[in-house]
Parts: sequence; structure tokens; C-alpha cells
Amino acid sequence: MEHVITGNGIKKKFKGFTLDIPQLQIPRGFATALIGENGAGKTTLLNLLSGIRLDYQGSIQYFSEKAGIDDAGIRERIGYTGPGNYYLPHWTVKQVEDANKLLFTGFCPEDYRNLCRELAIPMDMGKEARNLSDGNRMKLMLAAVLSRGTELLILDEPASPLDPLMRDKLCDMIRQYLVSREGERSVFFSTHNVADMENVTDYAIIMEQGQIVEQGFVEDLKEKYVLVKGDVQYAEQTGSVLVTQTRNRFGFEGVCLSDRLDQLAGMNIAAETPTLSQICVAVMKAHSQLRF
Amino acid sequence: MILLQNSGVPIYQQIAEQLEEDILAGRLKEGEYLPSIRGLAKELKISVITTMKAYELLAQEGLVTAMQGKGFYVNAQDSEMLREQHLRRVEDALAEAIAAAKIAGLDNRELMETLQVLLDSGTD
Repeated sequence: MEHVITGNGIKKKFKGFTLDIPQLQIPRGFATALIGENGAGKTTLLNLLSGIRLDYQGSIQYFSEKAGIDDAGIRERIGYTGPGNYYLPHWTVKQVEDANKLLFTGFCPEDYRNLCRELAIPMDMGKEARNLSDGNRMKLMLAAVLSRGTELLILDEPASPLDPLMRDKLCDMIRQYLVSREGERSVFFSTHNVADMENVTDYAIIMEQGQIVEQGFVEDLKEKYVLVKGDVQYAEQTGSVLVTQTRNRFGFEGVCLSDRLDQLAGMNIAAETPTLSQICVAVMKAHSQLRF
Repeated sequence: MILLQNSGVPIYQQIAEQLEEDILAGRLKEGEYLPSIRGLAKELKISVITTMKAYELLAQEGLVTAMQGKGFYVNAQDSEMLREQHLRRVEDALAEAIAAAKIAGLDNRELMETLQVLLDSGTD
């Protein structure tokens, strides 16, 4: 397995929060999702990876090259979109084009204009970025970043401001990105919209309180965990075996590690394959400080 | 290709089964390449890892071979292997019938009779 990003001993301390990732490996040729609660450190990690922050301990390498994000050649091969005002607020759709042309040799203005049209971004080229809706601003960032010949996209919460139709389109665009150079391009995105993005997630990394608490290829995770449901009389007994459990008056539901399933033998329970969202919620719950 | 989201059968398995049928029926011919992993994922609107798992399953069954950097091609289906594959299907279906018979309380003799009746009605 080749990796598009390899991180070692990544550490970043804030007041009351420490991002601590001894090892980070993002598989090359796939879409990887970064999932976690608010405040888990997702944006901090993406800011380090995209070079928005450079003040951290440890090392991060891209494309198995020696150079880091401070190298212009590496940055040329990486595209980033994020929340907030990435473009200067008074920039127009046209000025976004000009700025990208100036910054990146791989930027193709024709692709940019076509994408703006395809994504129905208000084509008044004089429209200022600050006057666009959150959704349109995200679309504008995506259009710009997809108009460059990158090999890696780092997307911080790309789905959040988008409507359901546009989220579907985002998934299509990610698949298109991956297929266009079979196996050479990779995408790393954070998301809270796990269900919407599940069909475009190959590898998942779950973070809690600054650390990676679970990761793996989605198909492997779906075999590692199993969704269990049963009658109320077994709720007590199964509680200690399950990763998480929710009870109600009639029964219980929970997620169990597959290799512990034999400990539930003989009980009247039903087991099924969990979705990625169900796995994420269970793992997050097991590490969360929220009370249920 | 038809994929059902809520059938209880994993998506990768549904893909593998339908491709297997295409191969066994000769619709996908020896030496032919399957669509690229990411190409099929894009067409079917599913993740890359799911298609990959489907192809790996087919490779395990000896139906296709992975070529480094080129994808998966369909193996020669010699008649012996085809027979083997079909035999496995027959066995699976019969095993299912036996399990159902057990639940219904049919003994072995009654089960054999049922099979005989079906065979007889089929040859008419």
C-alpha cells in the first residue's frame, strides 16, 4: 500500500487541547474521510497538512517525496478547500480566476469557467465572493481547485454548506477525480455528514480529543464491527460486551466487535452489518465526553 | 447491473455475483478486461474500496486475474472449472433445501420423494 501523506510524531499543543498523532498514513489512490466530534482536532490536523499552520512538532511528507508543504512544487500538486473566507471577501469570480492563474501553473481557466457553469455559480464574473451564499462559495472553491492538475485534494468539511443534490454531485466529482488518473490521485476530506459521504469513502479515520481512535478501509471496518439488536431481558448481560449500547423499554441496540460476538452466543439477538455512520457513532460515543 | 441497498447482501457481493454470472454465461469472454476499479465505482456511484473487494472476491474464486497496473482480466473458463462452479451452485441450493426441509419436519425419505417428483415433472 502506497501512502500519499505520511506523518510521524505530529504534535500541536493549545491551551487545554493537544493534537497528538504518532503516525498518520493516508492511502494513495483512495478517498479518505476524517470523522470526529466538534473539537476533536480535525481542522487543526487539516491545517497542518495543508500548510495553513506550520508551527507544530513532527514531520509530514507527501507523495513519498523528501520535501514538505513549504516546497512550491509540492503545493502545486495539492488542492485545498476549507470553511470561512479562503478568498479575500471583495474578490470577484473573475479575480479568483486571475489569482489562481498567478499562483498555480497547472490552473486551467477554461476548466474553471466550465466548472462554474456546471455548478451553476452565478456567472456574473463581477460578483464578489462575500456576496455569494455559503454553498456557492464552497462551489467556487471546488471549481478553482478542480481546475488545477493536482494529485491530492485536502477538503475541510466540503459537504457541510451544500444542499443534498450538490452533495450528491460532490461525491460524483470526487469519484471523477479519482478515476481520471486511475490510482494516482487521492482525496482527504473531513466531514460530519458521514451518511451522505459513505458511498465515496474508502478509508475512514476517526478522531477524538486530538487522537486517532479508529481507522481502516470501510469494508474492513464493516467486518470488524457488527450491529446487534435484542430483547430487553438481554440488555444487562450484553452491556459489558458491546462497544456501545442504547436501551429502551422494549430492547437494546449496540455495536459489538465481531470477534467478541461469540460471547453473546445462546442469547436471542439479531446481528447485521453496520453502516459507516453506525460504526462512527459507536466509536465516537465510546470515547466521547458527552453524556447520554 | 442492479444493486439493492437494503437486501442484506453486501454491495461488493452483489457486484461479484453479477459479474460471475456474466463470466459463466460467456457474456464476459476470456482475456477481456473488467472495467477499471475506479471506473466501475464511478458508474455505480459507490466507493472504490467496495468495487475492489468485489474484484478480489472474483480473483479468489479463480474467475479473474489481477495484472499489476493494468486491472483484472477474465480467466479461461475450462469446462472442468465451469462444471465445478455449477456443481457448487447445485450443492448450495440443495443444502438450502435440506435446511428448509428440517424446519418443515420432513424426513430424508420424504425429501427424496419431493426431489423425485420435481425431477419427474421436469422430464415430461
